[in-house]
Amino acid sequence: MEPAINWPDLQGNILRGYRKHFVRHLVLTVDRPAAACRWLADATSGDDSRTPQITTAQPWSGDKPTSCVNIGLTASGLAKLGVSPASIASFPHEFVAGMPSRSKLIGDTGPSDPSGWKREWQDHERIHLMISVHADNAAIRAAVADRIMAASGAFRLLAALDGEDFPGGKVHFGYRDSISQPQFYGVHGPDNRRDDQPLVEIGAMLLGYATPVEDIRWRVPSPHVLGFNGSFNAFRVLEQQVEQFEQFLSECADRLMTDPVGKRLLPPGEEKKWTPPMSRRDALREMVAAKMLGRWYNGVPLEMSPHSPSPQPPIGEEKLNDYGYSHDPDGQRCPIGSHMRRSNPRDAKIVQRNTNHARRIIRRGIPYGPMYDPALPVKAERGLLGSFMCASLTSQFEALQYDWTNLGLIDPRITGTNDPILGNNEPLHSRFTFPVGEEKVTFRGFPHFIHTRGGAYLFQPSISAIRYLASLGDGKAARKSSGAAYVD
Amino acid sequence: MTIWAKISAFLRRIMETVLVAFWRKVAPVKTPEPEYSTALADNLQMHMNLVMPLADQTAVGRAQAVQAVAANIDELFTGLSNVGTVHFARFDLVGGNLCMYSVFDGDFRAYIRDFISVFGSVFDALLGLVADPPPSPSALHPEEFIDWIHRHDAFQIPRDLTSLFPEERNIKNLSRDLVLLLDANRNVQIGRFSGYPGVSVAQIRHGTGMGW
Ligand code: HEM
Repeated sequence: MEPAINWPDLQGNILRGYRKHFVRHLVLTVDRPAAACRWLADATSGDDSRTPQITTAQPWSGDKPTSCVNIGLTASGLAKLGVSPASIASFPHEFVAGMPSRSKLIGDTGPSDPSGWKREWQDHERIHLMISVHADNAAIRAAVADRIMAASGAFRLLAALDGEDFPGGKVHFGYRDSISQPQFYGVHGPDNRRDDQPLVEIGAMLLGYATPVEDIRWRVPSPHVLGFNGSFNAFRVLEQQVEQFEQFLSECADRLMTDPVGKRLLPPGEEKKWTPPMSRRDALREMVAAKMLGRWYNGVPLEMSPHSPSPQPPIGEEKLNDYGYSHDPDGQRCPIGSHMRRSNPRDAKIVQRNTNHARRIIRRGIPYGPMYDPALPVKAERGLLGSFMCASLTSQFEALQYDWTNLGLIDPRITGTNDPILGNNEPLHSRFTFPVGEEKVTFRGFPHFIHTRGGAYLFQPSISAIRYLASLGDGKAARKSSGAAYVD
Repeated sequence: MTIWAKISAFLRRIMETVLVAFWRKVAPVKTPEPEYSTALADNLQMHMNLVMPLADQTAVGRAQAVQAVAANIDELFTGLSNVGTVHFARFDLVGGNLCMYSVFDGDFRAYIRDFISVFGSVFDALLGLVADPPPSPSALHPEEFIDWIHRHDAFQIPRDLTSLFPEERNIKNLSRDLVLLLDANRNVQIGRFSGYPGVSVAQIRHGTGMGW
């Protein structure tokens, strides 16, 4: 018998998104372990007066809170709080080794190599804890973050990473994001299901439950109270090369304007039926962008509407994820090599036959940096603060990155190519191919559009586990509320 | 062989044994972890050379191993086919070892995970015959199973021997390092050749019309 999900014991950001428009991730070193343990105790005490409380998954009874707080720890963070070496050794090896040591496997090479990561991510051993504040507005975000830092006196701030939603849920590159997420047995029922994809076992996200890989259960790190109901987060700072991406779309559109295949890809005049109608060149740019992703900019799936982002009748919001690929075996509508189809093949035939639903991850991302305006291009760093959550980093996040995003092992027709948006492409070898009827369109010579600039593998403990961690400081903890040292 | 030749060979063996034991203590070498390559083609056609000492290495014990593989061969082969990324797999008895050699595409750990989910239970039965088996069933102990397989997978010596010891500053020590590496790893793969490098099994199946 599977244990029932104990909602108040889970951190609230795992199985649901808060849909808050402002996020601050505080990347921290634990300077004073006893004080850090005391803060963990305070933050799970139910008493908001000392410090903001860690948000649990307990359903909200009344109004939504204006802010939510969650935490994740690295292996060195666990050690710093006093978790024993034997206990740390019971965590998965990739988590203990840390994200930078997995760089080649997950494609962090060339411009994404950890040696080029931002200063705060350079010394991996110093990164102990990330506290994420989700808020309704910037003022609340700042106030909550300041209260956390002031109340604890335990942490040194390595970086405060701010992300803000763009209008319409868009991210850099112009796509609408946060539409597809896995749905779980025991969580999603007939009244709150958003699509027909098979429900996923909760063990894909939380430790201690059956997983989508038949019969397999991941080890729950010991002691049980620390591991059970925990989850992992591959947190990534992903810089997006927006200017290069836009330029690439323009080059592709220019080619399709003269190449006869452009006419078959988008029958002339079709773009005038779009809402709003578009110039042919702009429409071809959008078409290429959609082929690279699997959805039009506005979120309409190519699979449901291959020629127009504004099909008639319109596709309702609740239907935007309700599709599969089994009727499109060759990728005529949605290319096999597109970002989405590689990242979740849904019901498509794939090489690793028992893996279709085994690598599902929860994605929570928010843009950082100013929005790119082609009319007024400002040089600035911009990208996505991305949390990729799962129960097994190596069999979900890393497996995705290693042989689907890159390598393309998923289907022989794309093996040897990388994800056109996310993959670590370099112009000499990069290739993105998709069929148009009997013909093929191939684009080459594009670079790596997304560079990793930092990140860490974090363990997201349950509320009981946080209390356990807090108890490790017992006896040693001295509550001092001296202001924390902010390092800019 | 003359008596002198025998004595000198014997003395040499003793000196070597003492020397290796000494080196092992003062200048140990680490067996490098397998490196992932950034070249796409290098991540296809990976090799696994699993050497598993049998608990009973007598003719009777070895006969039991042959029978156990034979009894499960259809299930093993169907499972291997269903993993989807396996080019070849062989089961051999070499000395007192049950060996499984295979060529597969992609990441070793992902391969073993797929392997557990596809035919872990059959493999668990085989592991009952092996000395020092991993905890069973593999599906409930996937991490231990994968680590165990990794430990029994013969170390693969790269083409460029010098790349084995990146931290070695003195080139003269390389042969000593190699001796120590072989001291720590009884079984190693020395070289491999492919007639069609950089191609996945699914690409071959697809290209030859076999269906993948
Ligand atoms: C800056 C980096 C990234 C950008 C701009 C990006 C963009 C997008 C967008 C716009 C969507 C479609 C929206 C939706 O369906 O929710 C999407 C879907 C998805 N992405 Fe990404 N992504 C990025 C990084 C990643 C990474 C690192 C991974 C995995 C390791 C990933 C995995 C996925 C998955 C699994 C889906 C859903 C596919 C489906 O369920 O059909 N993405 N991404």
